[in-house]
Amino acid sequence: MNSRESLPQPLNPLGIDGIEFVEYATREPLKFGAVLEMLGFVLVARHRSREVLLYRQGQMNVIVNADAGIAGDSQPPTLMALALRVRDASFAYKHTVELGAWPIPTRAGAMELNIPGIHAVGETIIYFVDRYQDFSIYDVDFKFLPGVDHAPKAVANMHFFGVVQAIGSGRSADWLDFYDHLLGFRNLPKGEYFGILPKGTLLESPCKKFYIQLIEPPEGSDDVVWDEEWLRLGIGTPDVLAATKELRERGVVFVDRENLHTSERGALTQFYLNGVAFEFVHSHLQPVR
Amino acid sequence: MNLDHFGMDTITLAGPLEAKLRAIRAAGFTQVMLMARDLVGHPAGFAAAVAEVKASGLRVTGFQVMRDFEGLSGPLHDYKVDIVKSMLQMAKAVSAPMLLVCSSTSSMATGERAALVRDLQALAMLAVPLGIKVGYEALSWGRFVNEYPQSWEIVAEADRANLGIVVDSFHILANRTSFEHIDEIDSAKIALVQLSDFMWRDIENAEHRIETARHLRVFPGEGVHSHELADLVRRLDRIGYRGDYSFEVFNDDYQQMPLDLVGRRARDSAKWVTDQVLRRSLPVRGPGVAAHAAQSR
Repeated sequence: MNSRESLPQPLNPLGIDGIEFVEYATREPLKFGAVLEMLGFVLVARHRSREVLLYRQGQMNVIVNADAGIAGDSQPPTLMALALRVRDASFAYKHTVELGAWPIPTRAGAMELNIPGIHAVGETIIYFVDRYQDFSIYDVDFKFLPGVDHAPKAVANMHFFGVVQAIGSGRSADWLDFYDHLLGFRNLPKGEYFGILPKGTLLESPCKKFYIQLIEPPEGSDDVVWDEEWLRLGIGTPDVLAATKELRERGVVFVDRENLHTSERGALTQFYLNGVAFEFVHSHLQPVR
Repeated sequence: MNLDHFGMDTITLAGPLEAKLRAIRAAGFTQVMLMARDLVGHPAGFAAAVAEVKASGLRVTGFQVMRDFEGLSGPLHDYKVDIVKSMLQMAKAVSAPMLLVCSSTSSMATGERAALVRDLQALAMLAVPLGIKVGYEALSWGRFVNEYPQSWEIVAEADRANLGIVVDSFHILANRTSFEHIDEIDSAKIALVQLSDFMWRDIENAEHRIETARHLRVFPGEGVHSHELADLVRRLDRIGYRGDYSFEVFNDDYQQMPLDLVGRRARDSAKWVTDQVLRRSLPVRGPGVAAHAAQSR
């Protein structure tokens, strides 16, 4: 044990260490897979028994879940789970449930890996994963495709940056409590923003490796449907312009209008499949190792 | 302050849920405080009860009541966590923005402050994803917490955005708790104010208090503490409370009266309360103005 390991981590009680994977639910896995491939992801593995696919680029793992029992009628593809790397998944689960998180019922079948998790916003789940160094969780449930690079390089050093969450009016303080007291996130001072959509409340993970952005409905939008949910995934890159150039060549279309256009700070893709978009952010973060 | 700030409570009225909702609406109210048993006891089931509430057009003030939650340990604690989850899910189903939690009377509970704070923090956390606030009320016969300054201290210490206190005039009057501490409360942390009075000044013991609370409350303006109630409402208004007032009137007599008559009493009471606050906030008329008003009549 070195001296660093022996230090207590009061600000990161769960030992959160970045995002292991994000999971989308969709009934159109092929079409959504095509979107992911356009964004530089590669299909590397399939679940052994369910209609679940693993896409990857660099350190980003994206699970596409078309298992009908889970995906339901979700249209468009819905960001439904965030798996956090933690020091001890079992401890993280027990600790958060004691503090008032709603545990999810186990979803593992026979011989499948049981990943503990808690409910987050709406129908979403936060999983806790502690096997990410010596052993991969994907080895148990997934079958890697032959003839495919299982560790494809990321376009323009892209990496997970965070998640944008829609919340109800006046609910920022409630959700700040949720991410702060359950998971150790920190509210960044007003004015400290990333990307080209600077608004809402920005929360930094205790490992400082990713962010959650809380967005209340804009004023005067009482008639807009504004469900509480994870709206979109944020992807970081040290060079937004290089990333968007390469992605454009691959066919990705970015929003470009008067008040919202691609810049060195960030970019936003158009909606795909009736409502899934990806945000790109100039990032100081290093890809999670 | 107008009638929209007041709501009736289903516990005051006799009969089936649909009739209660109709009577509350007919009395001119726009909101209703729901008791869980009014919904689960519906002959057509809980979902039908929820549909009736939604069809009534009434806004739901809150959902009650979670009892004996805090301060427990072991299997009893786990059991109560399960119960409160069900209560929260019912509250969510009926679009109630708040779950009312009464301070514990359980002989199995501890009064240790840290445990009470911890349990309320966990309850508030359970309520966050559902978008529900938790209102903690000091029951006047609560075992350890029975006066509002105590419930406020615990809520303040727990420090959760969706956790507030419920101020209930009955329990304050029954225990003769001083109103002085109202000024110490952050008005934004008052989840709800429940108003009621009763008909005598002295309550001899805990049994008498419980008996009075559950069977013999009356609407504000009808009881013997009108002066104190007016003072309480003015104080709440002065510290900036602009939230809902609900009439928490358990009364056996009202349970055997036609619903429209009880509704009328509630409406008269709302007017009485409004007058008490207006009396303070209106500028004092000078003699010239009064004379002018008299002449113009």
